[in-house]
Amino acid sequence: MSWGKYVLGALVIAIAVHFAAIYAVPRVFMNIAIERIGAVSGVNAWRLSDRVTATSRWVVRPSPDFAYSTCVFDLSQGPVVITATPWDSYWSLSLYAANSDNFFVIDDREAHHGAEITVVRRGRAHPEGASMVVESPSERGIALIRRLAPTPNTYNAAKNVAVEDVCESAARLVG
Amino acid sequence: MLRRILAWIAAVIVGVALGLASAWAALNVGASSFSEEFGHWRYNSAAGSTAADPYTRAIVARVGLLALSAREARYFTMYEDENGRPLSESCIYELRGAPMDVRWWSVTLYADDNYLAQNNDSAHSVDATRIGNDSSWTARISPVRGDARYWVSSREARRGFSLTLRVYNPQRDFRASAETLPALTTVSCAGDEP
Repeated sequence: MSWGKYVLGALVIAIAVHFAAIYAVPRVFMNIAIERIGAVSGVNAWRLSDRVTATSRWVVRPSPDFAYSTCVFDLSQGPVVITATPWDSYWSLSLYAANSDNFFVIDDREAHHGAEITVVRRGRAHPEGASMVVESPSERGIALIRRLAPTPNTYNAAKNVAVEDVCESAARLVG
Repeated sequence: MLRRILAWIAAVIVGVALGLASAWAALNVGASSFSEEFGHWRYNSAAGSTAADPYTRAIVARVGLLALSAREARYFTMYEDENGRPLSESCIYELRGAPMDVRWWSVTLYADDNYLAQNNDSAHSVDATRIGNDSSWTARISPVRGDARYWVSSREARRGFSLTLRVYNPQRDFRASAETLPALTTVSCAGDEP
């Protein structure tokens, strides 16, 4: 029996599995984060995380100096409107695709009075009248607001500001 | 016939095992080859970027999911002391820094599971809002505070913890280097010769 074709077959499979695993890792980790966040707050809704402590486990390497608000956006029913209320220290609104890419970010230097964006699936029509349209490369992803709040007092102040943030299906907002 | 079937089953098993093992090795052992080093700080400029290659994206997703792109923030991580030894709770370190051309910075300690150390000292990080960014500073990294003005607690961090330096809104003049980033010095380790 010739072993050459079996060795070659094993090598071809090894290369395919290697690249499939590397491709899958960020998507699997993002999916876990999406499921964890979505299980608590559903989709298209902001959730302010508790102040980061030693027991925080929703994502690796969180900063204890930020108040994090997260929203799992789902574009399967159409565009999603996302707003971020301004904060008197550093803040930013960032969007992450299903493969973990940070495809959009805006911060307080660019948006002194807060941000309002409409997220649409790449290649779909832009809604009329939307002030800032952002195209998402994936149907689902994560929106994240970071507000610099390194003390319990500033975290509580950020908590009061965060209730004004919006993450909502554009159709429901109109309806 | 049976020998051929068994040989192909063995080839598939070996192929899958080799593929998974080489992917694991690329993400763990090979992680350092996808980053730059400034002193003992490691930095990956592709973190969060849509231009990240598949390996960088996989490595960053494992240890820094939801990182911001380099335009907004940069993340530097240190795993070893100035002598190349893994950072350990049994040692006392001093971190010395100088003003940086950034809007805000912080240094945070993470245990080897990539989460904050399991202590309730409320001293997981130091940052520019507490220390400032206009003069040189020193912070102690140790299990107990002692007389340190600025302190990051390593209690319950065990061996193999890491430090992450975040710099937000780096200015055009910001240049990362061993000289511009904070430097770590080992003061003492339990069990060292006096």
